[in-house]
Amino acid sequence: MRWLRFAVFILIVTVLQAGMVEIIAVTRWNIRPDLLLILLVFFSIYCNTSEAIITSFTIGFAADIISGAMGSQTLSFGLFGTSLAYLHRVVSIRKIAYQSVAIFITGVLAGTLAYLLSLLKGQPASPNIYAVVFGTSLYSSLVGPFFFLPSAWWMRIKTHRFRKS
Amino acid sequence: MDGIRVANMTRKQTRIWVPKSNKRRLGSVSRRMVFTWFALAGLILLVAPQSFTGKFQFAFARIFYWPLSIGRNISLSARTRQPLTDAVSQREHNQLQNHLANITEELLQKHRRVEELSGLRDRLYALQGAKLMLADVITGSISGENRLIINRGESDGLAMGQFVLGDNSVIGTISEVSARTSMARLITDPASNIGARIVGLNVETVIQGDGKDSVKVQLLSIKHKVRVGDDVYACKKPGFLDAPIKIGTVAECKRDDENPLLWDITVKPACDIKKLTDVAIIIMNPQQ
Repeated sequence: MRWLRFAVFILIVTVLQAGMVEIIAVTRWNIRPDLLLILLVFFSIYCNTSEAIITSFTIGFAADIISGAMGSQTLSFGLFGTSLAYLHRVVSIRKIAYQSVAIFITGVLAGTLAYLLSLLKGQPASPNIYAVVFGTSLYSSLVGPFFFLPSAWWMRIKTHRFRKS
Repeated sequence: MDGIRVANMTRKQTRIWVPKSNKRRLGSVSRRMVFTWFALAGLILLVAPQSFTGKFQFAFARIFYWPLSIGRNISLSARTRQPLTDAVSQREHNQLQNHLANITEELLQKHRRVEELSGLRDRLYALQGAKLMLADVITGSISGENRLIINRGESDGLAMGQFVLGDNSVIGTISEVSARTSMARLITDPASNIGARIVGLNVETVIQGDGKDSVKVQLLSIKHKVRVGDDVYACKKPGFLDAPIKIGTVAECKRDDENPLLWDITVKPACDIKKLTDVAIIIMNPQQ
């Protein structure tokens, strides 16, 4: 793992997520793809388990910095990123369709847990939070796999190491 | 075949690539320990007070002020529709409209006061002694939150509770302050509660954000006559606001489903908060 590249990459993506992703927001709930969620799934799939744990928590921290309650996304991203990395040891997630499904399920679970944790911190409840979580996960799952290729190029990770015997 | 694990999946033999270092420990620390440490750090962040953890967000906004501002400007310009052939822009029109509404309301109040206390002189402009601090929006409504991070802070005289204006209308209050940056909680935030008054009514009420793009007026009895299009003003608040300032207009007014004795009033903010690039903060009785 090239950690310096990883740090720079996460910073760039966090700034993009905070400032520019709004351009492609849809619906009146302002639903936009979650680039950090996509990266969470990417690193959980293409890194070894130890690295996936570290990257999951780090990406969660970056997501917290650009959202409301600190800590909620660190925990939820860390937990579900780690779970996905362990799951990937027994179930291969190599097809684009599977990757989309992985992004969607991880997004829904992590978003819901982050929302519940933020309630513990006394953050106000948004009325359409579940619709927003669902929409964000769906949007991310649609654009996510296409974001994998530039991510792999930047991180110098080979994504074509899966071969049928 | 080092690093290759063979697994049986759905009766079909499939090779799954597993990184070579997967079996290794990270230095001398096990994966379980790494996970525990990070989870503990996350828990500490979760239980730590917002005043402390907010410093991370302020630091990020301050360090990446430039790219964040550029990104926001690009996304705003991408979403802004070009006006047809107006003499003034829609934003300028809204600004002037809100300013006119504020002055008119202030004038009406002054007339009433003069009638009540005839012979006594008072200030014509209630905000004359206040200082308006202009600030740029660094990030707006981050991740769907109804908050803004602005580039003014404690060193500029900002404090919690001060009113934030956008296009001459109240858009929120300062909720967190650091040395050079602050966070403004918008009126559309469900946690925002601001004293307000509907024009023509002599009763004060509270408005609360609905988490989307509008505000709800709470606890107003149906015995009061409210019409769609009525202006809603923020009430005076000693030390923070010395004159009524427009918040928005009544967009919908119907009986509350849960309590038919109360109105369910939806107020549309007087300006498009998402398109704001700069705001003003009212500082009453400034030091300098």
